Amino acid sequence: MNSPETGRGPSPDPGKDRSARKGGGILQAAREFIYGMAAHDMTRFALKTRSSMEHLFILITMGDMLGVPILPPYYSLRLLPYVVPQISTWKRRMLREKDLMDAIF
Amino acid sequence: MNSVVALIIGFAVALIGYYWYARYFDEKVIQVDRKKATPARMYMDGVDFIPTSKHVLFGYQFKSIAALGPVLGPIISLQWGWLPGLLWILLGTFLIGWIHDYSSAIVSLRNDGETFGALSYKLISPRGRVILLSFMYFYLLLIVSAFGSIVANMLKGTPSVPLAILALMAVGLLSGFLIYKKKMDILLVTVLMVVLSLVAIWLGTVVPIGGSYAVWVVFGLLFSFIGAVLPIWSYTQPINYISFYLVALGMLGAVVGILVGRPDFSVPVFTTYSIGVGPLWPILFVTIACGAISGWHSLVSSSGTARQLENETDTRYVAGGAMYMEMILALIALIIGAATFATFDDYAANLKALGPAGIFAAGLGALLGKLGIASEFGKAFAGAMLVILAITIMQLAVRFMRIATAEIAGEGSPFFRNTYVGAFIAVLLTYILVMTGTWSYIWTLFGGANQLMAALALMLVSIWLAKEGKAWYYTFFPMLFMLITTIAALVLTTRNLIVAASKLSAGAAAPPAGQSVGVAIGGNVISAAIAVFLIIAALLLAYDGLKMFGKARAGKLGKAPAPTAAPAAKA
Repeated sequence: MNSPETGRGPSPDPGKDRSARKGGGILQAAREFIYGMAAHDMTRFALKTRSSMEHLFILITMGDMLGVPILPPYYSLRLLPYVVPQISTWKRRMLREKDLMDAIF
Repeated sequence: MNSVVALIIGFAVALIGYYWYARYFDEKVIQVDRKKATPARMYMDGVDFIPTSKHVLFGYQFKSIAALGPVLGPIISLQWGWLPGLLWILLGTFLIGWIHDYSSAIVSLRNDGETFGALSYKLISPRGRVILLSFMYFYLLLIVSAFGSIVANMLKGTPSVPLAILALMAVGLLSGFLIYKKKMDILLVTVLMVVLSLVAIWLGTVVPIGGSYAVWVVFGLLFSFIGAVLPIWSYTQPINYISFYLVALGMLGAVVGILVGRPDFSVPVFTTYSIGVGPLWPILFVTIACGAISGWHSLVSSSGTARQLENETDTRYVAGGAMYMEMILALIALIIGAATFATFDDYAANLKALGPAGIFAAGLGALLGKLGIASEFGKAFAGAMLVILAITIMQLAVRFMRIATAEIAGEGSPFFRNTYVGAFIAVLLTYILVMTGTWSYIWTLFGGANQLMAALALMLVSIWLAKEGKAWYYTFFPMLFMLITTIAALVLTTRNLIVAASKLSAGAAAPPAGQSVGVAIGGNVISAAIAVFLIIAALLLAYDGLKMFGKARAGKLGKAPAPTAAPAAKA
């Protein structure tokens, strides 16, 4: 699951460390440019796939909060501390109104 | 003209456009604000909305906008001579192309990262969204058809290419397995797979594979069908990933080849006003779409890039810069077409026999030859590169058409929600269009749909600029030009299609090779019907859009709250 600080996992962005990136100069920019062309969309699709799985995971584990008690509340409560860091980004992903054109990029 | 001089002119236009006009528009008209929170920062959800480095986004934007369009359009345009194409590429990008890409991203950026579907609902009308989505379906159908036809022609005409493409399928699947399942080091997998692909291209020159046009059409569609139904990580994305390196190697080889060989243009400056597919105005402006201006870019800028921009000040670099880079790519394609053959007659004969894709493959092969690469391998490599450029977009387009089918028809019947059904309908429609239609008309229709999309994007931007009280004429007049030109091109093409169909039915003309009279008439009628649909959709959207534009100018749409911070300094 996503790291609590940033809401994302292993950095999909090689320039995650902003201060380091600023000092990197042309080589760092070239590296990021190549990554952007070669693999950034792959990273985005991987994140989208993971996000869909997370929707299911949270629905199963925390379902009784949404009125769908799939797991007994005892287990949901045991899992709650692990889910709390995700809630802020998860609710944005889950509740954002989506358009058909979201499927293109 | 010497090819190096053309390249220098291209770079000069790009530098002036980017550092003067784009900077002026960015700072004085839009007034980008570094302190203003972007959707990526406000709504960071770890998936769609992620603040991302501008260099990463520049590469992402360029990769997403550069496909077959900037490569083939300029080569086809050489039938008018090299000057019209060159001028349209340079001036089109300078005056319209970059501002289209840039402002599409800005509008989305200032509207919570919304897609063009949602923006047309909000800024034009509720029916505007429905029309836009229906328009999109046919637009994608034309993309898959135009590209599918090119793939089939290339595979049929260059028997050294099919083995490489088959190998690429295997390499893609293997890459996905090794990266995601076996967790192997991505660098190691990349090197291994790129080398394997190059070996497969070489093997293709030793073991050519023949096949008819119909066989290769089915092959291309099957490739896309598989890409549309399998999980994206297992097939489509690894193929796109490995493909990138082959395409990058090819483009690098082309630039170095031009600089080393410094060939002169053999095509005349100007030939004639009217060619086979129509007169210079309006047909040139839909023949070269990507490379000058393309509606596809507005989709990338809004749905993809705007949601990842960390600062507003990055937009000019990412969207404007990538468009100027694509202009250089189109210029390289123009140079390859203009300088490959000894005379214009050679060019015309090859265009008829091999098509623009064949000319690009032969030209790139010749340029690679100047670097000491065997011509057979160079030609096979260039052919494979071209097929890759087409097929990677085809997969994504069929995937989207599948989702659109489920969305549009799924409420009526659960049958259409089935993954395989949606993808099958998409490839079936494509097959019918490719097998019955005439390639030159399909390409013109594709260009027309693409440019209409651009005009509609510019209309959305103009409405937004007027609503915000900003200088709207920077995008409004380019929008008018694109709208009028493209509708004229589509009307002309519809007329040509109807005339061709009536000539065929009267027995006054012969059908294209491999088609019966009935099939050829059917193809022309289907193409004409699509063109009429595109025209009607565009007119309806233009009517609604212009009405809203008038209201926006009169201040009846209200204005968004002003930015809280002062305008920031330079990007």
